[in-house]
Amino acid sequence: MSEQKISLRKAQTKRGKIIFYLTLLILSILYLVAISKTEFSISSSQASPLETLRRIFIVPITNGDYIVQFPEYIGYMLETIAIAFAGGVVATLLAIPIAFLAARNISKKFSYIGKAILNAIRAIPELIFAIIFVAAVGIGPYAGVLAISINSIGMLGKLYAEVIESIDLSTVDAIRASGGNRLQAIWYGVLPQVLPEFSSYSIYRFEIDVRASTVLGIVGAGGIGAPLILATYQRNWEDVGLILIVVIVFVSLIDFLSGKIRKKLV
Amino acid sequence: MSLVYPNGHQGLKNINVTINDGEFVVIVGMSGAGKSSLIRSINRMVTPTDGELLLDGENILEFREKKLRELRTNVGMVFQNYNLVKRMSVLRNVMAGRLGHTNTFKSLLGLFSQQDLQLGMANLKRVGIEEKAYVRADQLSGGQQQRVSIARVLTQQPKVILADEPVASLDPPTSHKVMKDLRRVSKEDNLTTIVNLHFIDMAMEYADRIIGLRDGELVFDGPISEVTEQTFEEIYGRPIKDGDLLGGEEE
Repeated sequence: MSEQKISLRKAQTKRGKIIFYLTLLILSILYLVAISKTEFSISSSQASPLETLRRIFIVPITNGDYIVQFPEYIGYMLETIAIAFAGGVVATLLAIPIAFLAARNISKKFSYIGKAILNAIRAIPELIFAIIFVAAVGIGPYAGVLAISINSIGMLGKLYAEVIESIDLSTVDAIRASGGNRLQAIWYGVLPQVLPEFSSYSIYRFEIDVRASTVLGIVGAGGIGAPLILATYQRNWEDVGLILIVVIVFVSLIDFLSGKIRKKLV
Repeated sequence: MSLVYPNGHQGLKNINVTINDGEFVVIVGMSGAGKSSLIRSINRMVTPTDGELLLDGENILEFREKKLRELRTNVGMVFQNYNLVKRMSVLRNVMAGRLGHTNTFKSLLGLFSQQDLQLGMANLKRVGIEEKAYVRADQLSGGQQQRVSIARVLTQQPKVILADEPVASLDPPTSHKVMKDLRRVSKEDNLTTIVNLHFIDMAMEYADRIIGLRDGELVFDGPISEVTEQTFEEIYGRPIKDGDLLGGEEE
C-alpha cells in the first residue's frame, strides 16, 4: 500500500483555487488603475527636514537657553498628569455602578440600559467632550478633567462589565444561601473577585488618559497641550522639541510604572 | 411536595418526608435522581411547584424576600465546590456566614462585632484550621477549603445544615475526615443535618437515617438499622457495584 503524502494545510478545492486567483486578478487591476490614474507627488518645502529635526531634538538638549526652560514645561506636564489622574479616579468610581448595571449576569434584562449608556459615551470622541466642556465651564484644567472622566467611563465600564460577567457566581449563591441580601452578596461575593482586575484596568486607562490629556490641551482644556499647539503654529521647533521630550519621558515613565504595578495586581 | 422545572423536567414527584430535630439524614440516589432538588428546596434555592414544605410549622414555600432571608439564616448550606471567595482570607470567608445576622451598612464596612469574630474563630478551631485564619482561601487544599465552608455555616448559627455533595470533589481519606468533622459538629450543636451522598459505604457510616431517591421518587426512608444491601439495589435500580463504594477509610 502506497503511503499517501500528508500536507499540513487542508487540500484546496478547485472552487477555492478559482476564487483565490480571481481575487488576485481583481486586486491587481485595482492597484494598477489606482497607481496609473491618480496624481502622486511629493511636495517639498523650503525648510530642510533635517534642519527641522535638528531643531526639534538636538537644539533643546544642547543649547543652555532652552535647557533652563525644562522646569516650566515639566510643570505643565505635571498639570496634564494631574488632569488624567483626577479624571481617572472619577471615572473609576462612576464606572463601577454602571458596569454592574451593564453586566448580564447581575442585572439580567436591565443590562441593556447599562450597555446603552456605555455605548453612547464611547460613540463620542474625547476631543468633542473637551470642546463641549471648554464651552461649558471655560478654558482650563477643569474642562479637561470632565472630558477625560466621562470618556474613560465608557471604556472602563465596558471592561468592568466584562470582568463581572466572567466571574464565578457560586460565591454569590453561598452568601444568598446564608441569608445575606443582594448588596451583601455583591460586596462579599463579587467585589473581592473583580477588584484586582478593576484596578489593573484603571491604571491602564490612566496611562491612556495621560496621552489623551496631552492632546486635550489643544482645545484649551489645560495641561501641556496648549503650549505645544502654540509652538507648532509658530513653527517654533525648539519649543516643540522641548515639550515633546518632556512628554515622551513622562509617558514612558508612567507606562513602565503602571506595567510593574499591574503585574503585581493580577 | 413536587417540583417541576421550567423546562418541564420533573425533578421531584410527590415526596413526603418528615425530618426530626437533630437527625443526621443522608439522601442517596444516582445522579439525576433529585437529591440536589430536594436539598435545595429546603432553603428555597429552588422552589417546589406543588405541595408544601413545613419548617417548624410554617410553610416556607410562601415565604417572600424578607422571610426568605430569615429562613436562609436558619438553614445553612455546604456546597460541593465550597463556594468560597478565593481571594479573601479564610476568616473573612467564615464571617460571610454572619452576613444574614449583620446590619447591611456595618457589613459593607466590615464591622463585625467582637463577639461574632470570636464565634468565627472558635468555629475555625473546631474544624482544626484556626492557624489558617488569615491565609487566602485559594492557598488551602480541597479538604481544608471544605472545612472553611463548614466553619462558615456554623458561624451562621443555623438550626439546619444542608450539605449538597460535600465530599464529591475530595479524595477518599479526606472525604472521611470532612464527613467526620461534619457529623461531630452537628451532633455537638444538635443540628439537623441533611447530606447528599452517592457513596453507599459513606452513607452507612455517617447517617442516622437514609432517604433513597430514584427518578424523583421516594423509594426508601428509614433508620440505618433497617438498611440492607437490598435497599441500595432498590434505590439504584440495579445490583451494587464496586464503583458505588468509596472505601479508603484510613485507620
